[in-house]
Amino acid sequence: MTASRVEDLLRELAPQVLAALVRRYGQFHLCEDASQEALIAAARQWPADGLPENPRGWLITVASRRLMDQVRSEQSRRNREEEIAVATPASELLGPPADAEPTDGDDSLALLFGCCHPGLSPPSQVALTLRAIGGLSTAQIAAAFGVPEATMAQRISRAKQTIKAAGLDFSMPPGAERADRLRAVLHVLYLVFNEGYTATDGAELTVPALSREAIRLTRWLHRLLPHDAEVTGLLALMLLTDARRPARTHSDGSLVPLAKQDRQRWDRTQIAEGTALVAAALPAGEVGPYQLQAAIAAVHDEATTMAETDWPQILALYNLLELIAPNPFTTLNRAVALAMVHGPAAGLDVLAALAADKRMARHHRLLATRAHLRELAGDPAAASADYLQAARRATSVPERRYLALQAARLTR
Amino acid sequence: MKYLMLIYGNQEKWASIQAEDIAKQDAFNKKYQDTGELIGAFGLADAAQARLVRRENGLPAVTDGPYLETKEYIASFYLLDCESEERALQIAADMPWADQEPVEFWPIMHEAKLDL
Repeated sequence: MTASRVEDLLRELAPQVLAALVRRYGQFHLCEDASQEALIAAARQWPADGLPENPRGWLITVASRRLMDQVRSEQSRRNREEEIAVATPASELLGPPADAEPTDGDDSLALLFGCCHPGLSPPSQVALTLRAIGGLSTAQIAAAFGVPEATMAQRISRAKQTIKAAGLDFSMPPGAERADRLRAVLHVLYLVFNEGYTATDGAELTVPALSREAIRLTRWLHRLLPHDAEVTGLLALMLLTDARRPARTHSDGSLVPLAKQDRQRWDRTQIAEGTALVAAALPAGEVGPYQLQAAIAAVHDEATTMAETDWPQILALYNLLELIAPNPFTTLNRAVALAMVHGPAAGLDVLAALAADKRMARHHRLLATRAHLRELAGDPAAASADYLQAARRATSVPERRYLALQAARLTR
Repeated sequence: MKYLMLIYGNQEKWASIQAEDIAKQDAFNKKYQDTGELIGAFGLADAAQARLVRRENGLPAVTDGPYLETKEYIASFYLLDCESEERALQIAADMPWADQEPVEFWPIMHEAKLDL
């Protein structure tokens, strides 16, 4: 079996192994280390020696052994052994072994909910989810976020300490809380996706493609919760956005705006899957922000040219999105849609209102949008000045380069 | 998002630093290294140790300098990685001497290819 197929299998088994350990021993922080070590051992041995008969059982056995070693070797050995004994209910000691077949996905799901606990900061939630559920190593996560491994290790270790201090037991949160926690989970997955969508293209083996990882995890969540419309909506949004990846950059890495993208290069299979998902989700349940954003992405993806885009429909969807989830960046997008339907002046009016907020007035996104609309309105000098200001305020190198080029184009 | 914080100073200032001041700075560093937000904190050697380096005929040519005309020069720099600028500004304001001297705060460029 090739190393990459082994890695795929390990990433799939990662949350199951950890869930089995946590179920049996509690002590998330210790179990997480132990299951990471078992995954690393497997990644080393399996490609050479072949798969064990029961890969999942193998991992759980090795991880349990590592856990015991770890507990014994700690200085506070006695205390910790007591902790484990206390954390393991007598029925568990007599009950099925940790590597018994899983009841269903509930354990892994509870684990994911735990990783997205509201007591953790968003960066910690992201790091912990990628390690515990995604099965990525600390080094891989650090590389993906462009920080030293020590910094990422600290983030993960602190998250685990917080979980320990909060006495989190990784059982499924009850009814009403469950809905809130699911929202947090979706937000974490979306953060991972955006990080991957915007940062490296994942061409290097050492830097995992986070957007692909986010899609994999969301797909997995969708299998566990097939009837949740927002989970479906998020998966659709990711697929529909990711489908444009091949057309988003020139070969030199510079950006291609939506209007200029070669739509032949969009991934039609992903668009078909995303469109079908959002079409199934929208009428089924309560409409949420991910479903609406997916619907907007679907309308863009269905248009064969920018001019043929169904802008009135996009505008209607942005109106609805702004109503249920108000956000200045949604308003920015709505201004563009409004300009496409009713002309640039209508869009510029919305931007003027938005610029009343001082922080928004200086934001490069607002300046870039205003530049675009001013150009459409036939005022190239003002548009150029806005593009220049936007370029000065952008912190993304490719984006700054693009904005500076636009400013230069209009002063020529 | 990554940010750079710069602290300026001069010999006179360093001479007046007490042990408890250093302890304060160490505590700050530890606090944010522990949260996984402070990537690194580096104090610079005195300006007397700074050099100017050029390449001449493919070889390094090193001279003394820079001869700074300002009264204060870079004393230390800190690299942050935070979820938002708001959070990074909060950390900057938590620097031990931020109530007396401003902390210079610079966002760092990144390679993210955002959607247009």
